[in-house]
Amino acid sequence: MDWWLFVKVCPQKMAGERPCPLLSVHPSRCLVDEKFEVLCQHLLPALQVTLHALLHSDEGDYWEAFGHYLSDAAGSVRVSEDASLGGSYSGVEPMGLLWSMRPIPGSKPGLRLRKKDVFKPTDVYISLYEGHLNEGFKDKRPLASVVAQRWYTAPGVQRVEVREKGLKGTLFIPPGPGPFPALLDLWGGGGGLVEFRSALLASRGYVSLSLQYIGLMGADGKPHNVGSDYFEAAFSLLKQHPQVCPDRVAMMGLSFGVSVTLGMAAYSSVIKPKCVVCVSGSHVMPVNGSLADVFDEIKKNVKNTRYDEEQRIIWRDLLLPIPDDPSKKVEMGRIKCPVLLIVGEDDQNWPASESAEDMKQMMEQAGNSHLLTILSYPETGHLIEPPYSPHFRASNFMLSETRNKVVVLWGGHTVPHSRAQEDSWHKTLAFLEQHLYSSATVAPGSNH
Amino acid sequence: MRWRVTDRMVRLLTATPSRALMDEQIVLKGHYLPCNSPVTFRARMRCENGNLWESMSHYHTDENGDVDLTRDSSMGGSYIGCEPMGLFWSLQPARGQEEGLRLRKKNVDTPYTVHVTMLEGHILLRDSSEDEEMIGKQELATVTVQRWYKAPGVQRIEICQNQVVGTLFLPPGPGPFPGVLDLWGIGGGLVEYRAALFASRGLASLALAYFNHKDIPGPRNHFTVGDSYFKAAWRVLQDHPQVCGNRMAIIGLSFGVFIALRMAMYPSVSPKCVVCINGPLGVYNSLANEDRLTCDTGKKLWGVNQQGYLSFWEASLPSNFPPANIVQIEKLECPLLYIVGEDDLSCASMVNADEIEKRLLAVGKSHLFTRVSYPGAGHLIEPPYTPCARTSLWAKRPTKLFTQWGGKLAEHAAAQEDSWQRILGFLECNLRGEQRTQSFSTKEPNQHIVPKHLDTLFN
Repeated sequence: MDWWLFVKVCPQKMAGERPCPLLSVHPSRCLVDEKFEVLCQHLLPALQVTLHALLHSDEGDYWEAFGHYLSDAAGSVRVSEDASLGGSYSGVEPMGLLWSMRPIPGSKPGLRLRKKDVFKPTDVYISLYEGHLNEGFKDKRPLASVVAQRWYTAPGVQRVEVREKGLKGTLFIPPGPGPFPALLDLWGGGGGLVEFRSALLASRGYVSLSLQYIGLMGADGKPHNVGSDYFEAAFSLLKQHPQVCPDRVAMMGLSFGVSVTLGMAAYSSVIKPKCVVCVSGSHVMPVNGSLADVFDEIKKNVKNTRYDEEQRIIWRDLLLPIPDDPSKKVEMGRIKCPVLLIVGEDDQNWPASESAEDMKQMMEQAGNSHLLTILSYPETGHLIEPPYSPHFRASNFMLSETRNKVVVLWGGHTVPHSRAQEDSWHKTLAFLEQHLYSSATVAPGSNH
Repeated sequence: MRWRVTDRMVRLLTATPSRALMDEQIVLKGHYLPCNSPVTFRARMRCENGNLWESMSHYHTDENGDVDLTRDSSMGGSYIGCEPMGLFWSLQPARGQEEGLRLRKKNVDTPYTVHVTMLEGHILLRDSSEDEEMIGKQELATVTVQRWYKAPGVQRIEICQNQVVGTLFLPPGPGPFPGVLDLWGIGGGLVEYRAALFASRGLASLALAYFNHKDIPGPRNHFTVGDSYFKAAWRVLQDHPQVCGNRMAIIGLSFGVFIALRMAMYPSVSPKCVVCINGPLGVYNSLANEDRLTCDTGKKLWGVNQQGYLSFWEASLPSNFPPANIVQIEKLECPLLYIVGEDDLSCASMVNADEIEKRLLAVGKSHLFTRVSYPGAGHLIEPPYTPCARTSLWAKRPTKLFTQWGGKLAEHAAAQEDSWQRILGFLECNLRGEQRTQSFSTKEPNQHIVPKHLDTLFN
């Protein structure tokens, strides 16, 4: 909607006339992985202004970002084209107001921004202030404000709780008759049920099952460790779903979820994914073991835990060095489907880079390296999530077994990590589309 | 023609954005379809009354199996040509719905939910409702889009103070904002959606009721308010702490044009500009006094024409206005944008525009006047991407009475799209830009606008 093209460049205001600035964001409602355009108009020329973004998280915390700008000769600032001169981000950064967000001063330490209710949008309040401000935003009256509303779900996406066959998960289904390709979506060792990535994937046309597999309780009320049959049941549920194309089911894992994904892809007779996406994980784990065995193996190396200068936990060495013993890592030569590995080179939680290198060598030796694509991002940490969400180098973490709270170092630096999130998400979507949507060979039938 | 498949197909249909304001374009694309094959796009939605509206268009996929409604041309169906928003503005009541429907949103706090479906082959609307089950098998993909009149953060405030009845929409933020008084026609009631959209674009806007509304005292279908009411309404908007009292405008459609022009002449009201859409500069009946606009002299503002439609035409002809009932347009001190639908069957808009121009020219004020005139557009030139109602039901009792608005579907849609951009630009320039009295447009006044895609029809 470029109605502003009909506004002629209006000459200088009469002296003493207060300007009436206009702040707009387009689109005002969109999905969290979509970009927006922030535009300020009818300012005085060469005016110092600050653009500030504020959101109130589901947990009740406030996050903010801000950039310093100078209006041009026409009295405008266009965030996608103009450079921020300072603030929480600098340079020409169309989405800097989102990805550079951090908790406001006075917040509890170690916060992490995660969406809980995926059907409730996040309202981001974008305000325009006069001058280059670095603090005190809530005590100053802005010149203008707008609201950018961001959603994890597109209209029509359905959410279904899965509690059958011993499974605990949430299924997201796109609108429409289907059939659709599908994804089994696994998060990491933090446990719990993380839904937002599945919700977003359903908004992009995939039936997606977010599966909880850590921290489950058995019928006896005691912690229960699942085995391969659990994941096979989940995969089969997807294949058999009436709106899923059974030969177009993939798996995606982050962190510990990668261990599961690679293990299943290599060894399961039931799980034959069309492709797999592995983010920030490793193939190092005892094969022919249950999940409990894998955890035990990792715990054996707990002495390798390191701490940084702020006593934050670095767990990346627990799996190092990468073993030569084949019984201690997934046999990558057995994998028959395309593999996308996404790796942060500053991952302080898992040795993702070293593992990726070893996986590549294994596949080259086995002759299936043509299936492998590695996206390796410098200065990028462990939690590579959908784009424009804020980066945090460390955050509070609850150990699932002991329920102890610690602070874990994930790694990464804000600007490169944010670029990695944006680039890897788009490449992930392209990879999934290529392998799950486009490989049909159909000729139009002819009856004349 | 059915497609032969070698495996189960998956098709992708995308809509970006999936939640849009009513005046924003939605980009619709289909992917992973068989190449160079026929495909139908269908839009369906239920309006607030529960009626089903639908539209359909026929495309061919390209050599990659893609179709893109911002690039490709429809070769048949509800519209033809490259029309990215065609599915929305060509929506018509489905077969079997009530007669004389007009699409109007009452509740601006909720969106229109439209289901856009891609189907195999070229299907006609006629086929669609006759054989739902068969058509269902040809469905390839569906997306759901939401279309909103109100942006997030816009506040809706019901006004019932100093006997003024209306709804105020405030943009998000502290303000103060320029203000727009929003007037509709003799259908009465309170129409909020255009004001909600103005607020979504940064303008505080008061949609004002003045006729046939339950909160306005006196008998319905009679004018019971007059100049003092409109002055009070102006003050309500002007005095609001979040409104810039010296940056205000008035917009009127249909009979609202008469009110807008009349108000612009009050000494206590000094709008920075006025927008008029298809309305009269005078009124039939004799005027009573400050407190009642007209009194019932036996001559009504409407009659039934030869075709049996309720018509306001006679009452809108300047030659029928008693001189004392014509707005003293010569006193105009601000820019005026007059929008004409050349196929307006309800009001003699072109004649009224001519009369306004003539009177302004006579006092050397033609530089204040800009006319934009749309061939094929009807009376109800509203915000874009909504269907044109050529006729609609006016009253059910004592007998069903329909009225004619005019307008040809595609031309009217182009007029709505173009005029909305001009109205927003005109308001922005006059309310936020330099306070000047020149016409905002560098074009010559009385521009006869032919929307771009219809150029070929006229050359």
